Amino acid sequence: MTANHYSMEAAAGPAAVECRGLGLTRRKKSILQDISFDIPQGSLTGLLGPNGAGKSSLLRIIAGLAAPDTGSVRVFGQPAGIEQLGMLSLLPDRSNLPGWLSVREWLDFAAGIYPDWDPVKALEVQAELNVSVEPAISSLSRGEEARLQLLTCLSRTAPLIILDEPFTGVDLISRERIASAVVGELADGRRTFLIATHDIREMELLFDRLILIGKGTIRSIEDVDRLRRSGKSVESHYREVFA
Amino acid sequence: MDQSFELLPEPFQINPSLPIYEQFAWAIQGRIVSGHIPPGSRLPSVRELAAGRGVNPTTAARTYQELERMGLIVTYRGQGTFVTRDAAVIGEARKEIMRKAIKEFKAAAGKLGLTAAQLLEFDKEDSHDG
Repeated sequence: MTANHYSMEAAAGPAAVECRGLGLTRRKKSILQDISFDIPQGSLTGLLGPNGAGKSSLLRIIAGLAAPDTGSVRVFGQPAGIEQLGMLSLLPDRSNLPGWLSVREWLDFAAGIYPDWDPVKALEVQAELNVSVEPAISSLSRGEEARLQLLTCLSRTAPLIILDEPFTGVDLISRERIASAVVGELADGRRTFLIATHDIREMELLFDRLILIGKGTIRSIEDVDRLRRSGKSVESHYREVFA
Repeated sequence: MDQSFELLPEPFQINPSLPIYEQFAWAIQGRIVSGHIPPGSRLPSVRELAAGRGVNPTTAARTYQELERMGLIVTYRGQGTFVTRDAAVIGEARKEIMRKAIKEFKAAAGKLGLTAAQLLEFDKEDSHDG
């Protein structure tokens, strides 16, 4: 028996995400410049940066929902694009679940449209996130809707989960439930998470890697354990970089 | 799980500026050598530790790797992770903690311009007075 049986190291294989020289310009305004990084499989990477840094644009490109002007993205070794949509589950920044449906109707609908929907997983995560299925979506609080969106994301078997600001306007208890559900997913099934957030304090114990972007460029890429060995926290590093 | 002990002392404040697995491993080592976690106890899984504390599963895994390296815990595949019943190993870990305590005590004395013995002497007199 080796010491490695606790290891969460990813199985050998291509990076979950590989960005090379990404650039994006919209209406003559530069949104992203020369963005390059890898996200290894099994990582929980935090994408951090101020408002307007280009985080959401970057996530949309990785998800294959937008094309960069320059550079390339690979997801598990394949070029990003709609063909890779089944490989990843994206929680977008702005919510747009159909308010006229009940939670149960939405989940039934989602089970029908996602080929990789896992009904057993859906029930587990529903219990973990404490989502009740009776109410109409339009009557949900911000935190309840955020939990329902995350439930929708995690009920799929896609190996890459991308969450764009999962905590915006979400109460403390919902935050804790969301964080705990994410940990459970990461520990169980070798999934990879990429999470863009402002809420560094909520998440800093969860990240193992950081990508800091500001004004459309990479400002820092760090291994969180290495940061801590040099006596820095995620938060203090963030302040240093963006001071 | 019939777990009648707390893995970590409560409350446990994590310092986000130092490696978390080291903080966990150190605290659990202390709980084991003091008998708060008895020999042979079954520890929570990596997943339970991570979810319970809201930390990355790698942190929980490294914590156990560290404790296993010291021989304080043993994992049997399919059964779980258990505190060693080897008294010699636990005794050695206790000595390590004692050495660290002494070192810190000497450092505290040094800051006051005293030796450890002088500080202890003061304590003797002080408790007589009190």
